Amino acid sequence: MIDHQDDSHTLTRRTMILSGLGLGVFGVLGARLYQLQVLRAADYTALSEDNRFNYNILIPTRGRIFDRSGEYLAINQQQYHVEIISERIDDLNKTLDRIDEIVPLTPVNRERISKDVKKFAKFVPVIVKDHLSWDEFAALNFKAPELPGVIPRVGQGRSYPHQGAFSHVLGYVGRARPEDIAIDKDPLLRQPSFQIGRTGVEAAADMKLRGNSGRLKVEVNALGRIVREWPEEDQRAQPGSDVWLTLDAPLQKYAVELFAEDSGGVAVIDVMTGELRTLLSMPVFDANQFVSGLTQAEFDVLDKDPKRPQFNKVIGGNFPPASTFKMNVMLAALENRMVDPREKITCTGKIRLGDRNFHCWRRQGHGGVNMQQALQYSCDVYFYEMAQRMSMESVHDIAVKLGLGQTYELGISGQTKGVVPTPQWSREKVGTPWRGGDALNAFIGQGYVQVSPLQLSVMAARIANGNKAVSPHLIIGDNVPEFALLDIKTENMSFVQAAMRSVCHEPGGTAYRYMPLGVPGIEMAGKTGTGQVRGISASERASGVLKNRELDWQFRDHSIFVGYAPYDKPRFAVGTIVEHGGSGSKRAADITRKLLRRALQRDGLIEPDPEPSKNLEPEARL
Amino acid sequence: MSLVAAARTKIYEINWLLPALILVLGLIGVAMIYAATDGVWTDGAQQHLVRLLAASGLMIVVAVIDIRFWYYMAYPIYAVSLLMLVGVDFMGVEKNGATRWLDVGVTDIQPSEIMKLAIVLALARYYHDIGKQRVSHIVGLIGALFIIAIPAQFILRQPDLGTTMLLTMTALAIIFLAGVNWRIIRSGAIAAAIAIPLFFQFFLKDYQRARIMTFFDPAADPSGAGYHIAQSKIALGSGGVSGKGYLQGTQNKLEYVPENGTDFIFTVIGEEFGLIGGLATMGLYILLMGICINMALQCRHQFSKLLILGLTTTFALYVFINLAMVMGLAPVVGVPLPLVSFGGTVILAVMTGFGLMLSAHLYRQNELPRSG
Repeated sequence: MIDHQDDSHTLTRRTMILSGLGLGVFGVLGARLYQLQVLRAADYTALSEDNRFNYNILIPTRGRIFDRSGEYLAINQQQYHVEIISERIDDLNKTLDRIDEIVPLTPVNRERISKDVKKFAKFVPVIVKDHLSWDEFAALNFKAPELPGVIPRVGQGRSYPHQGAFSHVLGYVGRARPEDIAIDKDPLLRQPSFQIGRTGVEAAADMKLRGNSGRLKVEVNALGRIVREWPEEDQRAQPGSDVWLTLDAPLQKYAVELFAEDSGGVAVIDVMTGELRTLLSMPVFDANQFVSGLTQAEFDVLDKDPKRPQFNKVIGGNFPPASTFKMNVMLAALENRMVDPREKITCTGKIRLGDRNFHCWRRQGHGGVNMQQALQYSCDVYFYEMAQRMSMESVHDIAVKLGLGQTYELGISGQTKGVVPTPQWSREKVGTPWRGGDALNAFIGQGYVQVSPLQLSVMAARIANGNKAVSPHLIIGDNVPEFALLDIKTENMSFVQAAMRSVCHEPGGTAYRYMPLGVPGIEMAGKTGTGQVRGISASERASGVLKNRELDWQFRDHSIFVGYAPYDKPRFAVGTIVEHGGSGSKRAADITRKLLRRALQRDGLIEPDPEPSKNLEPEARL
Repeated sequence: MSLVAAARTKIYEINWLLPALILVLGLIGVAMIYAATDGVWTDGAQQHLVRLLAASGLMIVVAVIDIRFWYYMAYPIYAVSLLMLVGVDFMGVEKNGATRWLDVGVTDIQPSEIMKLAIVLALARYYHDIGKQRVSHIVGLIGALFIIAIPAQFILRQPDLGTTMLLTMTALAIIFLAGVNWRIIRSGAIAAAIAIPLFFQFFLKDYQRARIMTFFDPAADPSGAGYHIAQSKIALGSGGVSGKGYLQGTQNKLEYVPENGTDFIFTVIGEEFGLIGGLATMGLYILLMGICINMALQCRHQFSKLLILGLTTTFALYVFINLAMVMGLAPVVGVPLPLVSFGGTVILAVMTGFGLMLSAHLYRQNELPRSG
């Protein structure tokens, strides 16, 4: 019995010990709860709010790009695409097969889609394909009810209504790349549907076109799914600003037409303001393809084309200016009083320097020519003679004054500086001393001399202006600094201008037979050039130089022309290079005079052609 | 007459205060699961209510059965539980990387849950049978350790660290209550102090070790295991003194707190009813356990006393571990808050336990074979 009592005592006592322990634990738990919910409540409330709210970036509408009179060059167009939401799809492959029946999907597409599906949360829409045709979009909408998780959508996409005509100038847009994101911290760049300007004006004016992102306050759950929107705290996106270019769309499209299948570049520039009315590189490509994504095959076609459509030749191409360079030599001679312009120099068709013969383009020679005639006939021997009388540096100085060997504040990238060589340049860059032959070649715009069509147009504009160093500009609203004075004597400039007039309007002028302008009372000035691509060997010269049409395209001469009009009151200047344009400067001269004529017509200076060409009609505005 | 009639008269003598309190806690569970599932009645709340009512029926049935039956069945139940644990080891169903379930056709059951009851039954009977004199005797000690070690070993292998700990601690509490002398307790404590670090180092699975380490440094893994603790603390802390209001808890509704219907149900209470709701819930648990302890002390026999106290200990450990885990005071080990958390097996086991306690109390004067 005592035993039992004792037993019971021990148990009761120990029960009390454990109960006390238990109450102690509850005490600790209660204290902890007090600590969390009273002492640190504010901290945790803030954390809870952080958890709860997110800001979704709202993408602004990109600014549009217009030509000088408000014609659309780049717009945002309704664009159809199809996306999938993976959480609503049982079998991704089967669903893609069904979509494939309507919209063909390549294995590359599929790979990208499965990668995206894995990468993003399962409720995030993944774009299957964009830039669908209306028919595809309609067919998908029809099928959509039997395809859960497949959503055809209408969005906004960049569109270039003129397809190719402005592709090099405008550039195109695309998704931001990691390297862009590294430099630019704008959160917009992280949005998969946001596009930034990649090249051209789209890139140059990107900040202006881009606009400012908006914010949408949303309540999200732990997986990031939006459970509620808070519209009262929205910050709307500010659309990007529109950008106006100095270009004249109909004139530019006329230039495309004039080039037809040919390759090259042309710039039409206002000789007073420097505004570019046309800035064209040929052949063009359709920038819309870049926005929607090129297939490998499409890319290969562009990439392997020997005419290099993707290359912006008008500002980036290096071509020999050939005889169009001769004005620089003339001005240098006149400015430095190296030669009396009336002095006649006898051209026998060639001169001999050391053991080499340097030929005039006219084998039988020009006989005695003065300076004005030398330009009119484009006599090479006259300029070979100049090369022996004066330094390359003096020519270089004039060429730089006239805008060669430099880039301009154009906004868009891809300009070439070109080359106006000097003996020092030759030693530093080529590594060989400057030889007499180098000077002879340079004085007729061959050898090391290289220019872009844009630079030629600037050179022509500065000669036409005669007073100021006109510089080109493209984006209206960009600051145009006051043009510097050319610092070339007016009488010397007038002499060159008159010589260039004679090229077009005096019998024997190299452009005389191309019927300049064809408008009574209005004259133009210009200079032809034939850019030699290959060396002509002595034996070939003996047996007869091959005609250009007998040569492969890439060995044919470049056809070059610079000019301006009207001669007496200059308005526009043009620089044209037709790459491998063949025999003489006919192609380029033809394009130049037609563009000058059309530019003057569009400016109201001369009457339009009696039967207005259909190309003058602006394209239906979108 | 006999059994059914006897049961019918006995039913009125049940200590109804206990079932009433159990029902209150269970209904709190229904309400909180409803909140945790964002107000979708059929996503758990309804099922919890059905289970609660069904298990209450089971509890009453267990309660009216004579304690002598449970006394005789103590070892057989233990043996069957042990067999089922062995069965899990050989042909268990794997879920979430742990093999704890046994497919018995209709449903999967967790033998470890049954073992939590069985081990209390077995140890209560064991100490009742050997009598006080042999409790601290070497033979008596070894017998008890066998009863504990065999199932503990199998449960640890599943692996289920939480249940193993729960089982071991319950068993140790029973040994303590049975009256093992302080000398043995002292040497046991020293042995444990040496063994636990070794156990941690050599016997735990990587993920178990990771969980414990994460507990000590939650920032090290904010989206993994640390995420549970961090988000759970945010839910509680943002509730403040009076809470955000019923069904207004953003943390839980937005699924930031994982498993908020099951193991982390207390965060819903804390977020929506604040400190007041949390302390009130803890108060209900204290009251419930107080009633149980009081019932134990009214019993005549060692078996009944140890049975009730052992089961109360198990219950208390559930509550402690769960609350400590939710408040960031213990590692995340997957222990539910009994009666409130959603979960079928647990509610069944807990209610059977209460049934046994009620039976022990109801038949507290009945004659049992004499001790030792």
